[in-house]
Amino acid sequence: MKYTTFNQESTNPLVEPMFFGNPVNVARYDQQKHAIFEKLIEKQISFFWRPEEVDVSRDRVDFQKLTDPEKHIFISNLKYQTLLDSVQGRSPNIAFLPIISLPELETWVETWSFFETIHSRSYTHILRNLFSDPSEIFEDIVVNEEIKRRAADISKYYDDLIFATQLWQTQGEGIHTVDGVAHTINMYELKKKLFLCMNSVNALEAIRFYVSFACTFAFAERKLMEGNSKIIRLIARDENLHLSSTQHVLNLWAKGKDDPDMAQIAEECKDEAREIFMNAVEQEKQWADYLFKNGSMLGLNKEILCQYVEYIANQRMSAIGLDAPFDISSNPLPWMNSYLNSDNVQVAPQESEISSYLVGQIDSAVSEDDFADFEL
Amino acid sequence: MSNENPSHRIDIVDVGAIDAPTDKTLLSALESANVHIHYHCREGFCGACRTTLIEGEVEYTTDPLAFIDDDEILPCCCVAKTPLKIKVPL
Repeated sequence: MKYTTFNQESTNPLVEPMFFGNPVNVARYDQQKHAIFEKLIEKQISFFWRPEEVDVSRDRVDFQKLTDPEKHIFISNLKYQTLLDSVQGRSPNIAFLPIISLPELETWVETWSFFETIHSRSYTHILRNLFSDPSEIFEDIVVNEEIKRRAADISKYYDDLIFATQLWQTQGEGIHTVDGVAHTINMYELKKKLFLCMNSVNALEAIRFYVSFACTFAFAERKLMEGNSKIIRLIARDENLHLSSTQHVLNLWAKGKDDPDMAQIAEECKDEAREIFMNAVEQEKQWADYLFKNGSMLGLNKEILCQYVEYIANQRMSAIGLDAPFDISSNPLPWMNSYLNSDNVQVAPQESEISSYLVGQIDSAVSEDDFADFEL
Repeated sequence: MSNENPSHRIDIVDVGAIDAPTDKTLLSALESANVHIHYHCREGFCGACRTTLIEGEVEYTTDPLAFIDDDEILPCCCVAKTPLKIKVPL
């Protein structure tokens, strides 16, 4: 079915499935099939932040104090996160928007992707502060084998779905030969590709960021790279919300609350979905291995990081109806929780500003004059 | 009646029982009683504290945005309305 930017047929979005129904025409939110997506939009917008709000200037001094293995850990994580957000800043838009049939879901995907672009800009903000010319770091992302291997796995499912959708929207169902390769395009195949892609995105949001997050917060526990940590906390808060959205989509399908075909596919492809998750877990463990190849950092090592990945994988897998496969029941990095906590409930007084309302709230330059009107 | 009740008894499977005051979230009540469960956002959007509710009723102080199944609650943004029986992931 050819894509149209404004479907002239009258449709009733209350009976459309989330994906592969009629294209959305009127962006209206007075009536909603799945109201959760507008709630997610509102929440996400309330989190709005700009990288420039966070003063990272002190990190430059801290960075010089890091050991070489620690520098490797810090920079490699930034590269990996840059890759993840490069993908996430565009792919939900390109893969999902052409096949979405509900206005509230369409707007959620746009909002979600937009926030990933804020994350991308924040990595440049961090790196520009650390290096007078960060281009070497960015250029390595497309040649570094460790990162490339992950990029291939992450983009595979998106690319598959995008290509199949393009064939379907231009040539319809059937067997189409492109560059000598035959592709079978029918609704079942398209929906199956969508299901696998959504599982891959879910695993990305659920697992792939957390090894990097843990390292960042481990530096912050030692009062190092705190500007960076503040930015990563804002990113982590957004990613938690994005994860909620993919969990909602997967569960709406699996519980038969949206498209009956998707409920059937969810059942049939459960093993594949599980495999996608387990692969992400395995890759994250390998990533931890790569990070610590030159030596550990204070407060964190490969073993404990791998345990943490298993611990959150258990939780995130059970949230989408998969079995928790790992034998680990207590959080090996309990201090992570306080960094992943939304700001307004921070226990430490210096952290108690509610950052979802404030602009320009982080200022790490304190002069003596600031205490002029203090008396002891 | 229950409105005047400042607390409810919470039975936690395999852990024990606590009294949860109704003026703070169930998560805070559990923490005060030294029952530590996983959490991230503490405002209902991430789902990290997802907990099984076996018996009883809770009232949400913040609209939960994270996915929760019919038999699940998010202790970070609810209070007990009645005595509860819950199973926390340990």
